[in-house]
Amino acid sequence: MKVTILRFISAATLALLASQSAVAGDVVVIANAGTNLSAGEVRDVFLGEKQFAGSIKLVPVDNAAQQESFLAKMMQMSSAKYSGNWTKKAFRDGLAAPAMKSGDAEVIEFVKRTKGAVGYVSSSPSGVNIIK
Amino acid sequence: MTNKRSVSAILFGTGLFMTTSAFAETDAEHMARLESKLDAMQTELSQMTSGMAHHSAGSAGIPLHGFSDIGFASNTDSDLASNPKGFFVGSLSFYLAPTFGDRVKALIEPNIEVTPADDIAVDLERAQFGYSFSDTVTLWGGRFHTPYGYWNTGFHHGGQMQTSVMRPRFLDFEDKGGILPAHMVGVWGAGKIKAGTGKVAYDVYAGNGPTIAMGVPDPAISATAQTLGTLTIGQAGDNNHQAMTGFNMGYEFSGNFEGLKLSAHGLQGDVDDNSNATITSLPSKLANNKTELSMLGGSAVYLENDWEILSEYYGFNNTNKSGSNTGTHKSWAAYAQVGKSFDDWTPYLRFEKTVLDQNDNYFASQASGQSYARQSLGVRYNLNPNSALKFELLDSKFEARGTTAAKSFNSVVVQYAIGF
Repeated sequence: MKVTILRFISAATLALLASQSAVAGDVVVIANAGTNLSAGEVRDVFLGEKQFAGSIKLVPVDNAAQQESFLAKMMQMSSAKYSGNWTKKAFRDGLAAPAMKSGDAEVIEFVKRTKGAVGYVSSSPSGVNIIK
Repeated sequence: MTNKRSVSAILFGTGLFMTTSAFAETDAEHMARLESKLDAMQTELSQMTSGMAHHSAGSAGIPLHGFSDIGFASNTDSDLASNPKGFFVGSLSFYLAPTFGDRVKALIEPNIEVTPADDIAVDLERAQFGYSFSDTVTLWGGRFHTPYGYWNTGFHHGGQMQTSVMRPRFLDFEDKGGILPAHMVGVWGAGKIKAGTGKVAYDVYAGNGPTIAMGVPDPAISATAQTLGTLTIGQAGDNNHQAMTGFNMGYEFSGNFEGLKLSAHGLQGDVDDNSNATITSLPSKLANNKTELSMLGGSAVYLENDWEILSEYYGFNNTNKSGSNTGTHKSWAAYAQVGKSFDDWTPYLRFEKTVLDQNDNYFASQASGQSYARQSLGVRYNLNPNSALKFELLDSKFEARGTTAAKSFNSVVVQYAIGF
């Protein structure tokens, strides 16, 4: 009986951990409905290397709640390196680092109403372009 | 009596009903008013948030950033005028990067620094206005950091960004040992073009050719050096009406070689001095000095996997166009720096060397035109992402030239640098 209970607790703990990491790993990149981007261009947008999509000026925004996941998964870089990159970009090219939003709701609201906006959230919302 | 009571009851009941109805209507109105106020506040808040988001997205306002540093230096050089010891204040450099709409932007950088003569100098480091046509073409005009190599535009006054305390001496500012014009007034086109898996990055520029300002009295440099000159960049115009032109073109790798950039750079133009205007008894070789500066070189940079490997080479093939030492003269300057980060610690090592032909008027006229070799060993510690402490040991050897004797000395420099 004790063994069964222990097995159940272990299985439940593993399942919980697995579900948590799956949530942490899910990052959905979204863009304003009128902005077309490919998944391969997302990295360049958030490094300040790509500033335009056609004639539209891109406005990337960061999401404080999802940034760690996004940097690890999409950018393959640490927060310090990302920040350092923008310091250099601002100094050499006069570019502004992406504005930081507090969470999904703020990012979605900004992306919906801002032409050229690109952000990332934890799940796919409606009314925006999902970058795949 | 019964009727009176009935009437009274009816009146009371009607009154009660009316009163209740009256109260019910007041509540409803009250609720409606509250809802209306709430809606108005929500709209106002939304507008405020929208405005703030718009502002922070960089499409309005003036983002202000800057760098500053302080430190301590000591050395074994007997020439204290050239290499003072003790605590020092470095520079305070602000840079503003306003944007005006989607394509127009500017970089304004006032810099306040302590000169070797112990004065405070205010300099307009950069005043450049740009227009981005696309990701592949941005055109700048004004005063900018001359885009040769990697260091000059990558770090410049941003001491907190560079790993080491000192710049390679030959790439330092014009009045601090540099042998090239670190600034230029003119036009500059820059951009990146996707090519294969990486990108071709380019800079092409043209601007006023610098002048070598001779014999400017400066108590911080020796009497001998005061008969020599310093590059000045011609902010008000070009004294010989011949533009200086240059390029810097490279390839940024991706994939397995992410972080590697290989570039070639060049700079060409006539450089005059103003010896006749300021000094009457110069050696004949310095009179009416005009040199065609012709520089070609390259850089290799690797910034990935916690490594920082920087190297730049500058080959000179300058032609004297006046004075007694006519002809073409070859010189070179180079450095290589390697650093590796271990969390917040970055130890680094740098070798730098110049071999500058003293028959070349361009170098013979400059106070900083003496050949030298220097090795630096240091460590940087990041207190946080915006500040760093650095400790650096240097071993410098300068060759003799003219009446200036050879010398060698060791130095130690500590720097506390911040960026904001």
